[in-house]
Amino acid sequence: MTSLIAFFEGLGLEGVLALSAAYALCIASLLGFITVYAMFAIWMERKVAAHIQVRYGPMETGAWHGWAQSVADAVKLLFKEDLIPPEGNKFLFWIAPAVVFCGVFAGFIAIPFAEGMQIVDLHLGVFFIMAIASVEVIGVIMAGWASNSKYSLFGAVREAAQVVSYEIPAATALLVPILVVGSFRLGDFNAFQADHGWLVLYNPFLTVAALIYFISSLAGCKRAPFDLPEAESELVSGFHTEYSGMRFSFFFLEEYASMFVAAALTATLFFGGWNLFPWGGGWEPAPLAPVILISKIFFFIFVQMWLRWTLPRLRVDQVMAMGYKYLVPWAFVCLIGAAWFEYMGWGGLFS
Amino acid sequence: MEALEMYTVDPNDDVYTEELKLNLGPQHPSTHGVLRVELKVDGEIITASRCDIGYLHRCAEKIGENVTYLQFTPYTDRMDYLASMNNNLAWSLTVEKLLGVEAPERAQWIRVIVAELNRIASHLIAFGTYGIDIGANTPFFYAFRERESIMALLERPSGARMLYNYVHPGGVAHDIEDGWLEDVLAFCDEFEMRWKEYNTLLSHNAIFIGRTANIGVIPKDMALDYGLTGPVLRASGVSWDLRRDVPYLAPYDDLEFDVPVGEGTHGTLGDCWDRYWVRMREMMESIRIIRQACPRVPAGPFMDKAMNRMYKTPLKPEPGEAYMRCENPRGELGFYVVAEGGTSPIRCRTRAPSFCNLSVLDALLPGTMIADGVAIIGSLDIVLGEVDR
Amino acid sequence: MNETDIHSKLAGAVVSGVGALDESAKDPFVVVDPGSLVPAVTFLKNDADCRMEMLNCVTAVEREDCIEVVYHLSSVTHRHSLTLKTRVERPAGGTHESWIPEVPSVAALYASADWHEREQWDLLGVRFTDHPDHRRILLPEEWIGHPLRKDYVYPHEHGGMPLDLDAVPLYERDEATPSEPAAPRPSGTPLVQPPNPNSDRPDAGGVAPADSDGDLRSIKPGSNDGGGH
Repeated sequence: MTSLIAFFEGLGLEGVLALSAAYALCIASLLGFITVYAMFAIWMERKVAAHIQVRYGPMETGAWHGWAQSVADAVKLLFKEDLIPPEGNKFLFWIAPAVVFCGVFAGFIAIPFAEGMQIVDLHLGVFFIMAIASVEVIGVIMAGWASNSKYSLFGAVREAAQVVSYEIPAATALLVPILVVGSFRLGDFNAFQADHGWLVLYNPFLTVAALIYFISSLAGCKRAPFDLPEAESELVSGFHTEYSGMRFSFFFLEEYASMFVAAALTATLFFGGWNLFPWGGGWEPAPLAPVILISKIFFFIFVQMWLRWTLPRLRVDQVMAMGYKYLVPWAFVCLIGAAWFEYMGWGGLFS
Repeated sequence: MEALEMYTVDPNDDVYTEELKLNLGPQHPSTHGVLRVELKVDGEIITASRCDIGYLHRCAEKIGENVTYLQFTPYTDRMDYLASMNNNLAWSLTVEKLLGVEAPERAQWIRVIVAELNRIASHLIAFGTYGIDIGANTPFFYAFRERESIMALLERPSGARMLYNYVHPGGVAHDIEDGWLEDVLAFCDEFEMRWKEYNTLLSHNAIFIGRTANIGVIPKDMALDYGLTGPVLRASGVSWDLRRDVPYLAPYDDLEFDVPVGEGTHGTLGDCWDRYWVRMREMMESIRIIRQACPRVPAGPFMDKAMNRMYKTPLKPEPGEAYMRCENPRGELGFYVVAEGGTSPIRCRTRAPSFCNLSVLDALLPGTMIADGVAIIGSLDIVLGEVDR
Repeated sequence: MNETDIHSKLAGAVVSGVGALDESAKDPFVVVDPGSLVPAVTFLKNDADCRMEMLNCVTAVEREDCIEVVYHLSSVTHRHSLTLKTRVERPAGGTHESWIPEVPSVAALYASADWHEREQWDLLGVRFTDHPDHRRILLPEEWIGHPLRKDYVYPHEHGGMPLDLDAVPLYERDEATPSEPAAPRPSGTPLVQPPNPNSDRPDAGGVAPADSDGDLRSIKPGSNDGGGH
């Protein structure tokens, strides 16, 4: 960011102007990135699903394995009629997709793809992402309420209960690597893991914490087996039942964007970030760093898809029981255990 | 938010919960057609339910009174459209009973094979859609892959893929071609392998068991009281299979097969998992039956000669009445036909298994959660074409 | 036990109203008076030798002189079954609008009877007294008439939806004199069954149903009151 501002100042822009130009460029490139990524992820989801389900998936659009299917779908969604339920609350209905998308979109600015390749290098990066992602719930509740549909309402309430519940184990599990590294800054995790190897192998509590965070992030992203807010066989489509066209595509974008953020956090905090090998690194050439990180992110996205097309869905009470009875206590056990290991000076498989 | 009708329980209390009236269906992904269930829910818990059926009502019984006996056969296809062969069979046997004729032996064995093949296809749909009801989409595609093979097999003698109109009063419509039985046997071998895949994928999945075990328990007495039949009854621990207990086709006496009964493996006897598992095991029993039946299909006519002649003019049974019941994939399909000498019956009652099996739903739903309600509807495996007729 | 044994036990237990066993029929049946139906079914269900646990089917059959209700009972324990019939005579000139036969309900004994009896009420217009939930089941609640009655005439519309089917049953069609299609009814006029010219029964059709709840019949075309959803 600072380098961008400096670049614009070098072009002769001054002060606020340079700042605005830099921000505009960042937002535009991020929007472009998310859109392109989401299209690719949707195509990937369909392909993964298809191959798990002994079929091919899209094969025609764009000749090579239907690569342009998502583009075609996006164009279709753009031209679709935008329906607003006449009895619903028009303002909330209109603004909900934007609120939902903003939360996840903001999370992207703190993700470092390589040393210095980051929009804002926040000292509280992890904290910021967790906090800003919660905004999404508000949007979902708005959408569910404003739709004036009982199914939407059910979906929204389920989402609220589920996401709020699973933020506790997710945040607690994230505290474990934070405790070990001693920083909230995402860049520090990469540096630490370059010296000490992947954190997931650092000590057993971190391994469990990684698992807990991954499961909780599935619930946070509303991915199967925790896709209750949009449980198709029960609630038709949950909170976005009444949405169509562009507004619907925002929910779609949001889902895939939040998968990316969750996978990025998993990869950065537990799986070495841009360090290729589990025993550490730091020697990889700098241009390779984003490639390594993004391939790790896509691996976790793939796992999320794989789980979605394999597992049945849990029931509401089972989701809650799993969160509060198993994940929360285990997350705290991990936190205390990791603290104890740190106090004793143990740990560090490769350090 | 006026459309969200709130039903207050006791508004005088300081703290009270409100009941919400939820319409499940008729356009809903998991009501298996056009079933509508009016639910009163307290949060996620269903407090009252009322089934509303009839959205697919075509008054097939009235049609039956207006067409000839043979003409009604294709209408039976459209009742339980997932098990057309079995419906044809039940109707043909009813007409045969009314006329006092019996199909030739070859036809009887062919009937057994096609009926069992169709039973597998029907149970495959039950298995696949049940996976979707529980939230697992993949089993559906696996099930459809094998169902596709069965449809291709049944297409060869009948010419149709879904609504066969193949089993006619007096025999079957066409003879089977050479090599068909070998292909059926080859399918049996393949299916056995696939069946194990299904179990790995869904049957023994912990989440699946968690969602279905101890849910929607139908005790034995309740099952009999509601007149449930088929896998739903057997899952409650009642060993009652018309193929074995009231053999309606002669070959069933000579064939060896077990009648799978619910055992309460993962919970209470008669829960959703038991119903699911009885269906899964029944598929393998059908494979066993087909394997025994294929080599024993005798040579000979496939259609009763006298009946074939009779088709040139509409059948005219003597005045009388007959109730014939068959073990359909969903339970006991009975036709009660009253003839008064004309070319069409004066009453053509259909005792549809799905209709009776669905009647238990209102008793099962209260006290469960919405997601359980979906699991229960799926485990009853209803076909609305048959419920509404 | 076979039907003869069951019948002799039944005739011995239920004091009156149990007729002889018709053994000439394909499924031998017993005719019971409507008054003795409930005791007879109760006996068949509870007697240790009969134990008819399952009521498979309830069928109403309209004949020239009567409406009979047929009960198919079977026992899972003893693997036998029995057909039970009860008859209600048709009064002179009884059409489906003027004559609603009444038969006691067995829904208290068999839960399966609930839906079956509702269906017979819906389609054949047989009233089952003491039924816990005596509503239509397949047709909409505001439907007029009972379609499986022989003198039933197809309506031309329902709730504003045209249902113009040929009112003449297929087997009574005469190619030489095609029946004239019914003239479209002006919207807003009440639904009254038109007379059936092909019915040979006296007084068939043409009579407005007994006006118990008039508001159901004044459904105007286009009013969104169809299925109640």
